[in-house]
Amino acid sequence: MSDLYLSHIRKWFLKSPPAEWLMRGAREMLIGTLQQGPIPKHVAFEMDGNRRFAKNHQIEAIEGHHLGFEALARVLEICYKCGVKVVTVYAFSIENFSRPPGEVNGLMAMAKVKLEQLVQHGELLDRYGACIRVLGERSLIPADVLPFVDRAVEMTRHNKDAVLNICFPYTSRAEMTSAIQATIAEFTSAPQPSKPPFSQSRIAQKIRSKYSTRLDSLEPIRETDVGTGSDVDDSMSSTTALDPESPRLQSTTAKPRKLPNPENITADTINSHTYTAECPPLDIFIRTSNVTRLSDFMLWQCHESTHIFFLKCFWPEFDLWHFVPVLLEWQWRQKKLLEKESSQK
Amino acid sequence: MSFTAKDTQLYRQDERSGHRKLDVVQREELVKNYLPQTPLRLRGNSRIRKQDSSRFGIRKFLKAQLYALLYLLTHAIFSLYIRIRIAYHAVSSRFVTILKHHYNSPEYIARDVATLRRLPKHLSVILTLENGGRGDALGKLVNEVAEVTAWCAAAGIPTISVYEKTGILKRYMPQTHGNVANRLTAWFGKDQAPQLSLFARGAPTIESRPGLSLVLISEEDGREAMVDLTRVLTEMVQKNKISASDITMDVIDNELSEAVMKEPDLLISFEPYVDLQGYPPWAIRLTEIFCAPDNQGVGYQVFLRALRKYAGATFKLGK
Repeated sequence: MSDLYLSHIRKWFLKSPPAEWLMRGAREMLIGTLQQGPIPKHVAFEMDGNRRFAKNHQIEAIEGHHLGFEALARVLEICYKCGVKVVTVYAFSIENFSRPPGEVNGLMAMAKVKLEQLVQHGELLDRYGACIRVLGERSLIPADVLPFVDRAVEMTRHNKDAVLNICFPYTSRAEMTSAIQATIAEFTSAPQPSKPPFSQSRIAQKIRSKYSTRLDSLEPIRETDVGTGSDVDDSMSSTTALDPESPRLQSTTAKPRKLPNPENITADTINSHTYTAECPPLDIFIRTSNVTRLSDFMLWQCHESTHIFFLKCFWPEFDLWHFVPVLLEWQWRQKKLLEKESSQK
Repeated sequence: MSFTAKDTQLYRQDERSGHRKLDVVQREELVKNYLPQTPLRLRGNSRIRKQDSSRFGIRKFLKAQLYALLYLLTHAIFSLYIRIRIAYHAVSSRFVTILKHHYNSPEYIARDVATLRRLPKHLSVILTLENGGRGDALGKLVNEVAEVTAWCAAAGIPTISVYEKTGILKRYMPQTHGNVANRLTAWFGKDQAPQLSLFARGAPTIESRPGLSLVLISEEDGREAMVDLTRVLTEMVQKNKISASDITMDVIDNELSEAVMKEPDLLISFEPYVDLQGYPPWAIRLTEIFCAPDNQGVGYQVFLRALRKYAGATFKLGK
C-alpha cells in the first residue's frame, strides 16, 4: 500500500509546475551539451513494442500505437533540436498487412488523421524547416489515405533544413528489388547520354573540308605533278582514315537503339535508385523492445558503417533519457575511430 | 514533445474523442509553447533581429561556454563509465570462461546445448583479420574458423557461414578445408568426424557430400554480388531473354541465396559492438543478431550465450 502512495506522491511531484519547469530546463541543457560534439546526420528508428507495451499496461493495441505516436513526436523534436538532418522511421511494414484487420484499419485511420492535422498546421512545420517523404510501395497505400500523404509531401517539399522519411508500406527487400528493377530499366531503355557532345565524324569532316579548301586555294599556285600527286595521296589517306569510322556510324543509326553496357552498373547505380538516394549515409540505427533483428528495415543502408543499437525499452517509453546514452556512446566511438585513424597514418 | 502533464491530458482527451474536442486554432494554441522560434530566414523584420543579437549576445556567449564545459564533463564521466563497463565485462567473461570450459570435447558442448528449446539451422559469424593481415593474422583467422566450426559440429548446427571482410580465406580454400577437417578429426576421432564441405561464391566446392557445410563470404558477396546479379539480369533483358517484369523479389532472392548463401538464423559478431562491416544485406532480413557488448576476441562463452538468446527469442513476421 505504501508503495502505491509513494508512486502517487512521485507522480504528483513530477507533474507539479516547478518540477516540470526544471525538467524542461534540464532537457534543453542536455541537448545543448550534446550539440557540442559530433552529431549524426541520419538516424533510423524501428519503432517496435507498441503492442507489447499496450499488453503490459492492459490497454488496447491501438492505444499503444497512439502512445507510440507521442513518442515519435518527442523523438523528432529531440533529433531536430540536436541537429540531425535526416530521420527515417519504420511506420508500417508490408508484412504488417497480415495483422488483424481491426488494428490495420486503426493504424491507417491514425495515419490519415495525423497527416490531415499536419496539413492543417502547415506553417508550424515550416518552423522546423522539415520536409516529409513517404518511402515505400505507393500502390499499397489505401486509397483514402493516399491524398493526405500526397498533400503532406507536397506542402513540405520546399523545406530544406531537415528530412523526415516515413517508411510506409515498406520492406527493405522490396526496396532493393525496386532499385534493381529501376537500374535494369535505366540500362535497357534508349541511352540517355544520347551522343557524346563531340562527334568523331564531324571532326574528320571538318578537317577534310579544311584540307580540301586549303588544297583548293593552293592548287592554282602549284600546278606541278608533285602537287596533284600529293593531292591524290591526301584524299586517299583521308578516306582510309574515315573508312573504319563511317560504317560504325551507319550501324548505330541503322540499329534502333544502342544499349549502355551492363558492366557500367556499380553499387552507386543501384544506390541512386533506392528510396534514400539523396540522404547522407545512415549513422545510427535504433531498434527498441529488445529485439535484435533488423526485420527488413534499411538493410541496404545499414550494413556498412552504421552503428546499430538494440534497446530494451518499448517504443512508447522512448525518450531523451534513452537517446542520450546512445548518442554519447556514438560520439565516444567516433572519437575512438578518429584516434585510430590518426594513429595509423 | 515534452508536454506538461496538463497539456498531455488535453491532447489525449482530444485524441480519444476522435479529434472533435479541439479545433484547428485551439490545437495550434496547445503546441505553441513548445515550438522552436521562427528561423531567421523566415523573419521579415531585420530590426528585430539586430536587437535580439545585441541584447542576448553575452547571454548566448555564456550559454555556449556552459555547454562546452558540460560537454567535456559529460564525456569525462561517460568515458569513465565505459572503461569500467569494459573492465567489468572483461573480468566477468574471463571468470565464466574458466568456470565453463569445453575442454575441446564435443560431449561438453552437446551437454551445454541440450537444454535449449531450439537451435539455429544456419549460423553465421563475423570474424576479422587482425593487423591488416600482417604477422600470423591468417593463421589465427583459420584457427578461429576451425574452432567455431568444431563448436557448431558438436552442438549439431549443420550450416555455418563465416564472414570475413577482405575475403582472404577464399584464396586459401584447400588449406582452410584441410585445417578445419583436421580440427574436426581431432575433436571427434577419425571415424566420427563429420564430412566437411566448403563453399564460396565463384569458387569450386570442396567435397560436397552430405555433412557439415561451411560457407565463406566476404565483402564482395554483399553489394558487389547484387551488382553482378543486376548486370546479368540487365544483359538478359537487353537480349530479350526475359522481360523486365519477370524480375521479382523471388527471382532475386532465389538467385542470391543459391549463389551466395541462404538467410542465416543467427549471426554472431565477436566485435565489441554490432558492426556489420559490409555483411551481405539481402541475407540479414530476419537474422537474429548477437553481439556481446565490449567483447574482445572469439570465445566459446559468446557462442553459447548467443545460442541461449536465440532459443529464447520469438519470431514473428510483421505481427
